[in-house]
Amino acid sequence: MGDSHIIVVDSTDNLATAVRTVDAGETVTVDIGGTERTITVGDDIPFGHKIALTDIDEGETVYKYGKSIGYASEPIAAGDWVHVHNVESNYGRGDQAAEQTADG
Amino acid sequence: MSEFYGYERSDGSIGIRNFVPIIATAPYANDTVKRAAEIVDDAIPITHPLGRCQTKPDVFQTYRTLLGYGTHPNTYGTVVVAHAGEIVDGDELADDIAETGRPSASVNIHREKGVMKGLEATVNTAQEMVQDASAMRREPFDISHLTFGINCATSDTTSGLCQHKATAGAAWRLIDQGGRAVFAETPEFFGGEDGLAARAVNDKLNQEILDRVENWDQRLRDTGYDVRGAQPTPDNMDGGLTTIEEKALGALVKSGDGPIQDIVDYGEKIPDGSGMYIMDTPGHGAESVTGIGAGGAHFMVISTGQGHTLSNAIMPTIKITGNPNSAERVPEETDIDVSDALVGDASIEWATDQLWDEVMEVANGKQTLSEVLGESQFAIHRIGPST
Repeated sequence: MGDSHIIVVDSTDNLATAVRTVDAGETVTVDIGGTERTITVGDDIPFGHKIALTDIDEGETVYKYGKSIGYASEPIAAGDWVHVHNVESNYGRGDQAAEQTADG
Repeated sequence: MSEFYGYERSDGSIGIRNFVPIIATAPYANDTVKRAAEIVDDAIPITHPLGRCQTKPDVFQTYRTLLGYGTHPNTYGTVVVAHAGEIVDGDELADDIAETGRPSASVNIHREKGVMKGLEATVNTAQEMVQDASAMRREPFDISHLTFGINCATSDTTSGLCQHKATAGAAWRLIDQGGRAVFAETPEFFGGEDGLAARAVNDKLNQEILDRVENWDQRLRDTGYDVRGAQPTPDNMDGGLTTIEEKALGALVKSGDGPIQDIVDYGEKIPDGSGMYIMDTPGHGAESVTGIGAGGAHFMVISTGQGHTLSNAIMPTIKITGNPNSAERVPEETDIDVSDALVGDASIEWATDQLWDEVMEVANGKQTLSEVLGESQFAIHRIGPST
């Protein structure tokens, strides 16, 4: 049975949300739309933070609620903490718009 | 048929409170308003930095917002206080409020010959209104009169998993009984706009939702900076939210999944028909909630992750969280703790019941925690420059 405190919202998501603290090195079982998967967690995960369910290449889409929440800004391994250090947004990117203007 | 006990207004709306706001039309009347409200128990001071030297789009927005507070269902009567001649005209505002049949008065500090006489006129007028308001009695009315305001505050990853579901459940319970609900914060639709637009009752509204979302993204791109830090905020990120898309997909959970009737401008009156509405506002809570207040929502459910002081003076504000750490850390900001539905054995249905019962009690007069503490903010969203 999956850990009820590690929640996968949609079965197509490549991350889970922990509603407890999880220690680096802990092995957890998550329920992904009725299928169980066991993952060894690579980092300490604070309450409410996210764990990668699969390896995610740099530039690849990060999914939660079955939808894109951005893209990996560096390679992410299954079990890694997923947060602002390795995921970037596709919205409100005035910085990228400014760079394109400068390049153009 | 479910009922609540409220106050009937001559324009047909029903209040759940019987407030007397004292409204400044410009910052130069703010101190008079604040001093008068310190003297007159139960008067509500509405102060802000706007109303003078604004361009027309902002003048309309400021005026519409202030008028919304003067004509709010929870407003018995209003004293408008102007400093002198302003582009947001105090006499005009008082006249427009009076058209709804509510007691209304206009005080002009220059006309009264200075701040002391201006204060005296404001206090005398407000004193009379507060006493008259206190003589009114609550009567039973159908709950279909009510408008349910929805906003999030310091969201975290628990928001979309728990408390937003309870908020949506309670809002739709009111809509199913003929009432209406409104949510806002357009930049917090980023990444979920397709699903939201698909809920529109017609193709025109579908496109309008997409256009308004794109308009916000364009405004943010035009700044030349990454919006991260403003959206999501540092406290959102502390709570585990990584991008505005993640925050938004969670935020949209609080509107449920039923049809969207219409989208209105900032501070515009919410239409009378039953259903779920959107108000186009920024995600900045003080501004979105101020706009929803002007739109006429009777009460505000603030669905929060990390806890927040966000409250409104004209709409009793009920705060709900599903984060057990927040409920423990800021109990004075937590009206409803439904964390058992996230980390315990309770269901979302149970959480919805907890919120619904509180909403009905607050509609009947129970004070929320922020009302008891006298906590509120007022911030009108501004569009362009001062001149």
